Amino acid sequence: MTLAPAFSRRFLLAGAVALTALATAPALSAQEAQKGGTLVLASVHKPRHLNSAVQSGVATAVPAAQIFATLLRYGEDFTPQPYLAESWEFSEDSKVLTLKLRQGATFHDGSPITAEDVIWSLGVVKDNHPFSSMLAPVEAFEAPDPQTVVIRMKQPHPAILLVLSASLTPILPKHVFDDGQDIKSNPKNNLPVGSGPFKVVAFEPGQHIILERYDGFFLEGKPYLDRIVIRQYQDANSGVLALESGEAQMFPLLDGTRLIRRLEKSGNLTVTDKGYAGIGPLNWLAFNTKHPALSDVRVRRAIAHAIDRDFVTKALHSGLSKPSIEPVAQGSPFHTEDVARYDFDLDTSKALLAEAGYGEGGKPLELRIDYMPDVEEQQRAVAEYVKAALAKVGIAVTVRSSPDFPTWSQRVSSYDFDMTMDQVFNWGDPVIGVNRTYLCSNIRQGIIWSNTQQYCNEEVDKLMNAAGVEPDLAKRQQLYAQAFKQITTDIPIHFINEVPYHTVYSQAVQNPPVSIWGTMGPMDEVWLKQ
Amino acid sequence: MTAPARTTVPAARGPMAEAWDIFRRSPSAMLGLALLILVMGMTFAGPHLYQVDPFEIVWAPLTPPGEEATIPLGTDNLGRDILAGLIAGGRATLAVGFAAAAITMLIGVLIGAYAGFYGGIVDDMLMRVTEFFQVLPPLLFAMVVVTLFQPTLVNVALAIGIVSWPQTARLTRSEFRRIRTLEYVSAMRAIGAGDGNIIWRVILPNALPPLIVSATLTIGMAILFEAGLSFLGLSDPNVMSWGLMIGSGREYLLDAWWVVTLPGAMIFLTVLGVSLVGDGLNDAFNPRMRER
Repeated sequence: MTLAPAFSRRFLLAGAVALTALATAPALSAQEAQKGGTLVLASVHKPRHLNSAVQSGVATAVPAAQIFATLLRYGEDFTPQPYLAESWEFSEDSKVLTLKLRQGATFHDGSPITAEDVIWSLGVVKDNHPFSSMLAPVEAFEAPDPQTVVIRMKQPHPAILLVLSASLTPILPKHVFDDGQDIKSNPKNNLPVGSGPFKVVAFEPGQHIILERYDGFFLEGKPYLDRIVIRQYQDANSGVLALESGEAQMFPLLDGTRLIRRLEKSGNLTVTDKGYAGIGPLNWLAFNTKHPALSDVRVRRAIAHAIDRDFVTKALHSGLSKPSIEPVAQGSPFHTEDVARYDFDLDTSKALLAEAGYGEGGKPLELRIDYMPDVEEQQRAVAEYVKAALAKVGIAVTVRSSPDFPTWSQRVSSYDFDMTMDQVFNWGDPVIGVNRTYLCSNIRQGIIWSNTQQYCNEEVDKLMNAAGVEPDLAKRQQLYAQAFKQITTDIPIHFINEVPYHTVYSQAVQNPPVSIWGTMGPMDEVWLKQ
Repeated sequence: MTAPARTTVPAARGPMAEAWDIFRRSPSAMLGLALLILVMGMTFAGPHLYQVDPFEIVWAPLTPPGEEATIPLGTDNLGRDILAGLIAGGRATLAVGFAAAAITMLIGVLIGAYAGFYGGIVDDMLMRVTEFFQVLPPLLFAMVVVTLFQPTLVNVALAIGIVSWPQTARLTRSEFRRIRTLEYVSAMRAIGAGDGNIIWRVILPNALPPLIVSATLTIGMAILFEAGLSFLGLSDPNVMSWGLMIGSGREYLLDAWWVVTLPGAMIFLTVLGVSLVGDGLNDAFNPRMRER
């Protein structure tokens, strides 16, 4: 087994010492990974199917990252590491990416993983995945030999490395899936033949997904676990009870802060907020910028000044969520402090309203606020807080509840709203999860999580598009910083907080998934202390 | 039910006065009435005595009762005053209760009266419709109605009314079937009174006592129903009601008992009051309880 330097470094960092790597790192053998055991993962997310090439969202991503390998993977920072590809390099002009595949890798049916499979899979993602910006700049995927993949792009596309990781671009077996059926509705998506550390043996919607160790996995000695069972619970409360009773050993993506606080106090569980830098989950208040009153930027700013982020994060979220001030999460490499922040200030708020002709002495202002249903603390509680907070500056807010998610998303995507609470994920790179909210070109009626605010500023589009094709990280950061400053000044969205996702796990769990993708990355290094 | 003490009632008094005599001698009925008066007094006079906006954030969230002098009953998860919520919420909850009971009576009496009076094919048709509504699980049906439209107070009252009328209809029908064969009804017919006249001016007044009792109990049931819908998150988020307080506070039950318990206790007391009054009325209108 040959290890690229970056890969062996990862071994050391993670403290998980594979048997073959022992010789190179004897000092770290304090805890040797034990093999075997079943990890029960509690989940409240209900996947439609398990093929993440054609389905976004965390529900599918968690199992899919175990079932399918990707070309690259990430550790605790935004530095790409080898996975199915053992090395890669960009051409001089950054428009051609050449990847070398690992020798001897096989699918779960035993057939070899070739460059042909890889380029077919990437093509499927390009044609079908809802995040069309991921591979949009790609002109051609080529497989000059069975171990080499060449990606040719119209323009430099630095986000490509993140795109090739997590469960965004799973490597599918072409000989299984290329059967003439529409891949989106292919029944094979329920029990797919995969390429990752675990093969799926059972998928009972609403019950569980059972993943078993794939003995022929291309990383020798991995995975450590024999089995991962993703058990589905009706709500977070029952998942937490399962964790407390020992029925489950891990509960990722938990956002109920009172539950988290309760679990923190119990002695035999560990709580971490690591593992969510990649997904970058933001909780915000979006404005319909075509609304007669909200089209006035002063009104939007007045509303922002009347909302106390500290109250939300400290009082409503038990101090567990972080305030958010810009389009990316704090863990992102593009995080900047130099944006318009809108600190809590009722006097400024009233003055802005008066300037716009509303509030005391002006026209009365009545607004409606929507929120995503079934997300109590993050959405409903904040919406109710906004109602109370805006009453203090003389804005009468009506809270409109939606019975279910489709109703809410239909209202928002057809612009039938004044203001709405919303949750949107960064998905690693702004090109994937951030641009979509602000680009003029992405005002697409009927599509949720597009630019439903109908905000359009050509300057922002120019900056974001330039940042998307800038290979130099420092220059990219600068361009995004400028874009974020402009966006926060125009305030189509008032950023409130980051969703306080936490992973809770029992003490038996070693090497918990704390990479930027958390449980949405491969869990081949997780092991259980017996 | 404790049997009221019997004393001689002057024969000259009307049936209503007689009923009141029996009612006021029942301690449980009077307790129920006292509870209702208390609750109503609180919800109607309260807003003038305790002027706090129930939606305003007044203090740190989840402050326990008694910790702050200005907020005697503590705050909810958003820092809103629980006492203000109880006072304002009572009005909405009682309004839903009474409105739903009124809708129930309106539909139930109308259908029951025609079915009971005419019998035959009219009865068959109306009873099939009634049975159709009766076999639907009421809570689920109400949830569907509220979900299809917006969860506003009016819709919640409508939904409760729509799912609870069948019982009233059946009760009315059986009363009408009984009374329409009585001699004074035949007498009315003999002197040429029209159907409408007989239904609304002769039979209905005589069928009223059990219907009043049923209406009273329906109020209690409607209040519970509203609380149940709210618990499932199906209440008007813009009108403070006890159900809304319970619905938004249930997440915090383990950390802050008062957020759910206090409005729960108010619902309990109100429904208890309504039920006791209903039982008292049942006895008061029961001819067997009278001395003849």
